[in-house]
Amino acid sequence: MIRIGIPRALLYYEYYPVWKRFFEELGAEVVVSPPTTQDMMVSGSSRVVADTCLPVKVFLGHVLYLVGKCDYIFIPAIRSVKSKVYNCSKFLGLPDMTNAVIPESPPILDMDVDVNKGKRKLYQAIYQLGRHFTWNPFKVRQASLAAWQAHLNYHELMSSHNLTPPQAIEIISGIPEAEANSSYLSSTRATIAIIGHPYLLYDEHINHRFISRLEQAHNRVLTPEMLSAEELQLATARLVGRAYWTYEEEVVGAGGHYLQNGVDGIIGIMAFGCGPDSLMMDMVRRQASRLKTTPFMSLTLEEHTAEAGIVTRLEAFLDMIYRKRRIQAESCR
Amino acid sequence: MRVGIPHMGNLYIPLKALFDRLNVDCVIPPVNNQRTLSLGIKHSPEGLCIPFKLTLGNMIEAVELGADTLIMAGGTGICRLGYYAEIQEQILHDLGYNCEMVQLGVSEQKLFGLLKIIKRLSNYASWFKIISAFRFGLAKLSALDRIERVVQKVRPVERITGAANRLFTKAIKAIDKADDYATLKKVQIDYIDQLNQIDKDTQYKPLIVGITGEFYVLLEPFSNLDVESELGKLGVEVRRTTFISEWTKFSLFLNPLGVNEKARIHKAALPYLKRDIGGDGWESVGEKVLHAKEYDGLIHLAPFTCMPEIIAQNIMPSTKENIPVLTILCDEQVAKAGMLTRLEAFVDLLERKRRKGNNR
Repeated sequence: MIRIGIPRALLYYEYYPVWKRFFEELGAEVVVSPPTTQDMMVSGSSRVVADTCLPVKVFLGHVLYLVGKCDYIFIPAIRSVKSKVYNCSKFLGLPDMTNAVIPESPPILDMDVDVNKGKRKLYQAIYQLGRHFTWNPFKVRQASLAAWQAHLNYHELMSSHNLTPPQAIEIISGIPEAEANSSYLSSTRATIAIIGHPYLLYDEHINHRFISRLEQAHNRVLTPEMLSAEELQLATARLVGRAYWTYEEEVVGAGGHYLQNGVDGIIGIMAFGCGPDSLMMDMVRRQASRLKTTPFMSLTLEEHTAEAGIVTRLEAFLDMIYRKRRIQAESCR
Repeated sequence: MRVGIPHMGNLYIPLKALFDRLNVDCVIPPVNNQRTLSLGIKHSPEGLCIPFKLTLGNMIEAVELGADTLIMAGGTGICRLGYYAEIQEQILHDLGYNCEMVQLGVSEQKLFGLLKIIKRLSNYASWFKIISAFRFGLAKLSALDRIERVVQKVRPVERITGAANRLFTKAIKAIDKADDYATLKKVQIDYIDQLNQIDKDTQYKPLIVGITGEFYVLLEPFSNLDVESELGKLGVEVRRTTFISEWTKFSLFLNPLGVNEKARIHKAALPYLKRDIGGDGWESVGEKVLHAKEYDGLIHLAPFTCMPEIIAQNIMPSTKENIPVLTILCDEQVAKAGMLTRLEAFVDLLERKRRKGNNR
């Protein structure tokens, strides 16, 4: 059986159920790298120039882990999934860059996803990908339809049950749901929205268990995945007019939405040197300082980010919010 | 209406000629200087690249001089630059400047779209007037670039250091002043003649270094600390394929007809980078592959945090065609001394390589 390696980084959080379903329908086995470790981060960073952004370094670390454990590595080049909205260069250059900096990697399965070139091209790209497993176009068609259904179910699951991508993936993979986090919802101290890309928010190694820290301090955490596509689009249009990059609604749309929907505070998480985020996070910050209603903090992550630094800033931010709430409660009395 | 024009190299000269002929009042902010940079840095998000910061600085200075309409490149694409105009407009509004931003999306709107924008800016002048003014602007642009090509050849072999640069500065002024085709032609011939008559060291065979990378930092000497002149002083002939006149010629007139000057470069890059990654990343890789035999070395210029150029920089070392590459990241922290040291070391390395090659 052919083993396909999928690195647990970057677009994994967005598309893993689709990819898994597609390859399994075609009779391949899917191998996923484990959650990020320090070793992965160090080995990934050592291959590229220092300016490369943290998520890409982590991605390469995952690829290095998969070397020797699979027959192919799947790295798509996703150019656009919406008309006239393109993706960051790093996603486009990913297959070629991996090839260049990790020569020992197993053959890379890449495919171009560009909806601006028309459906025909997209179907051709899917068939070409399927050609590695079967010559039969009907089988590929069936697999891709099943995969698409898996994608829809995945997003439905996240927005209807307020789940984060790792939780939803666990449910889909049949791992019993961990302790429901509704237990501390009764005694919530504050509701904090965090905005950013899933590969930063849910990679517990690079963000130093940010979400669980917030939850342990009895805060309710909201993430961009808990919003519907319409809500994100509406807020994006309000803040920046048209979206310029594919995955920026997670930042600017979610930020814009939560700024006006009564959360106690918003934390933006971005990677150092991220091109799109450097603009979009700033747009959210500008909006926050215009509205002056919701506190906003942005954290920039890189491989030198220290746990203590994050904890200190988080504590200070939370203290400020608790104090604000206390004063408000007292003045209401 | 007063139109403010941000700087990119000498692009302001043809634009000024164009607007002058259409009787549009235009404001040229001071050439990029420390104040421009400081203003830009102060009001920009920190993670943005130097083209954003410098053009924002230009815009603020233009508005201070009374501009109420600003022109800036724009459009959709992968590189952030297409989005800058919108962000800069927001920043200027937040600063309390009341001005309108006009986006020139050259690659999307093509020639006609561009002419329509000019028509609007010129308060609906006749098409005849617009086209003739546009032609004159293009003539100035190509005169500038013709002279610059000669300057690049003369710099490494001149006996009196800086002679070519001094003439170039004069030529720029003369071209700026010329207001008809005859004078322009005369200026062009005159200065190319003078440049050719500069006292030269004919024995010396200069090293040839290609220079590639991101469009803006290649063409704006302030942002790259005038790397071309510095290389010239070190006795290196600089070859650059990116010229504004070439670029406008192709993107306005020939690309819509299906002629693509970059097809050759893209084809060369294909084994290492299969697709366009936005900005000039594809071209950077392609130029290394294509010119590996002709050039002694390559200087790769990129703004700090430039997304496409980082990919290019990562891919470049793995190409089979092997020439030394020096990547210089340009941002507000780059210092002249640091860059000079790196250039000297790079040139020393190339010279040693050439000596070794000759001995064999």
